[in-house]
Amino acid sequence: MSGFIDTLQFVFAPQIINGLSIGVAVVLMALGLTIIFGLLDVINMAHGEFYALGAYVGVTLMAIGVNFWVVLLLVPLIMAPLGYMTERLFIQRVFHQKDRHILTLLLTFGLAIVLEDVYKLIYGPQALSVKTPIGGGSEVLGVFFPNYRLFLMAIGAVIIVGVWLLVYRTSLGAMVRAAAFDKDMASSLGVPVSHVYAGTFAFGVALAGLAGVLLAPVYSVFPTMGKDFILLAFSVVIVGGLGSIKGALIAGLVLTQIQAISSLYISPSWTDPLVFAIMVAVLMIRPQGLFGRLGHA
Amino acid sequence: MNSSQLFCRMLLTALAAGFSGIASAQPAEPIKIGVLTPLSGTYASLGQQVRWGIELATKEINDAGGIMGRKVELLFEDEEANPAVATPKAEKLFQVSKVDFLTGTVSSASTLAVGQVAERNDRLMATTVSFSDAITGDKCSPNVFRVNAKAGQQSVALAEWLSKAKPDAKVFYLGPDYEMGRSTVHAFKAAAEAKGAKTVGEVFAPLDNKDYSPFFGQIRAARPNVMYTSVAGNDTVRLFNQMSEYGLLRNLTVVGASGTVTSQNLGAMGKNAEGFTTGVGYSVDLDIPENKKFVAAFEAAYKAAPDLYGADSYGVMYFYKAAVEKAHSTDTAKVRAAMEGLAWMTPQGKKTMRAGDHQAVQDMYVTSLKDGRFKVLSKVDGAAAIGPDTCKRF
Repeated sequence: MSGFIDTLQFVFAPQIINGLSIGVAVVLMALGLTIIFGLLDVINMAHGEFYALGAYVGVTLMAIGVNFWVVLLLVPLIMAPLGYMTERLFIQRVFHQKDRHILTLLLTFGLAIVLEDVYKLIYGPQALSVKTPIGGGSEVLGVFFPNYRLFLMAIGAVIIVGVWLLVYRTSLGAMVRAAAFDKDMASSLGVPVSHVYAGTFAFGVALAGLAGVLLAPVYSVFPTMGKDFILLAFSVVIVGGLGSIKGALIAGLVLTQIQAISSLYISPSWTDPLVFAIMVAVLMIRPQGLFGRLGHA
Repeated sequence: MNSSQLFCRMLLTALAAGFSGIASAQPAEPIKIGVLTPLSGTYASLGQQVRWGIELATKEINDAGGIMGRKVELLFEDEEANPAVATPKAEKLFQVSKVDFLTGTVSSASTLAVGQVAERNDRLMATTVSFSDAITGDKCSPNVFRVNAKAGQQSVALAEWLSKAKPDAKVFYLGPDYEMGRSTVHAFKAAAEAKGAKTVGEVFAPLDNKDYSPFFGQIRAARPNVMYTSVAGNDTVRLFNQMSEYGLLRNLTVVGASGTVTSQNLGAMGKNAEGFTTGVGYSVDLDIPENKKFVAAFEAAYKAAPDLYGADSYGVMYFYKAAVEKAHSTDTAKVRAAMEGLAWMTPQGKKTMRAGDHQAVQDMYVTSLKDGRFKVLSKVDGAAAIGPDTCKRF
């Protein structure tokens, strides 16, 4: 019996906590993706590259001597206008055409390819490492755990709750949901729909950039970093239901826990295919995902 | 024939004679050597040592009059530790730049792939870094030589040491998931189990893996007292630092491949690499006159200490020089015949190229990190560490 408790504490607990810290990171990525889809009906294939852009902007600021915590505040403020402009300059142009699903998907996909090579040209193909701003570790449930991962979970939870409150409890969020539900009706009631669209896209991009800075000390910064994460984030969004914040949160945490526990028994390299298999199964059994769309819930 | 025609003819003859006279007075055409090595990516730090070692030896050789009076010219290409990048660049070096000899490949996967390109182009190549036993084993090639110690040679010395230092070893294996990782883990597992060590688990992480924390669950569950790893370059930095953050280095003896911790990545790990023990073919401390001279010249030129890659890559230039001078030619077949069985001096002492599988035989050492420097703990003779010749292709 004591052996079982020991295994629980020494083997399972750290794996679950670690899965949670990765889960929070994935949810941060999936949130921006799902909000942009839920409102704009745009699948943003460049989301991972905006995540990388956030990390690169952060690295650049830190290189000129800006403190990590200040960078954490600055990066979303820099990313939001970039997202706003991307929406107005590129996506608006193809948004109102009939086959906009295909067009926006291809447009953002192209943007992703261009951005990735731009990073390579400016910063080179090497991974840039970022020093962990909070070093050391603490005992949690009798298990040694790095402080930065604990911080990551805490700040991730705060951001997720903040986004939830913003979308569901403020008049700004109500405008966003109204525009998503029926853009003509919302527009006739005085909601500036085109600004709401661009603003929401900017918000999603800022979230991706913030995630980029937060995860830079864990994963380091390199041109293809967006690709590594975007597939997992997409799976989370699809399993949770495209456009659903609740779905992204629950699916993100559940899928990363499945990865964490299964990697005790199979090679961790095989846990990605496992998640994709779950995604395929969900698409076959319940194509709309576990939860409904933003504004429809 | 009138007189003006005769004059023209005489002029042409004189000119032709004059030109041929000038041509023979000019220095002979340089010998071109392609260096295909990772200059970017996770193995860039390994490529840096390769480049330094080769450039230092080339400068010495050229200053002393070159090889058979011909200067050596180096042509560098970045292979990114990726066989898909390495093969077209090797093809380019052979066919467009017309290099006489190729070296520098780091990743075992690149070496195996580039070896096939060398075979198709009927040129010779040598690796100074790759560990995989297959390169001079079941995937050996008549056109490929290896001047550094393979995984099997490293394992013999290390397993011998481990059986004495940790008689009750419960070993967990973590390797990079490609040719080199699989080969090094396999070689050390065989050697350690033969000496009585128990295997409690093994796992392979992708090359250039960023976050090792998902792999720690299996390490915890297996409760090893020894971990063997063969990750290299920046992967080692991430692995060791993350293991330290998660408190996994406590009560754990970490051993590994000789390229896992080198002077190039040690700085980024500091204390976290302390105590790391490996079987290796080179140490800065080796008390050999050639080594003292090499270390002094290396440190003066690059303000950094050489590691095994720098030493082996320095040695390959003298290997090629000795072979060409013995063959009196750069012709592939003649140089190959000269290389087989060749003995030459390196900073690691005398090495011999075994004719049967093109694997260099050399003395092996067990070294351990103490206060940021590798100290030699024990030595195994080259003949005892080399193992049987398993190459069946030539």
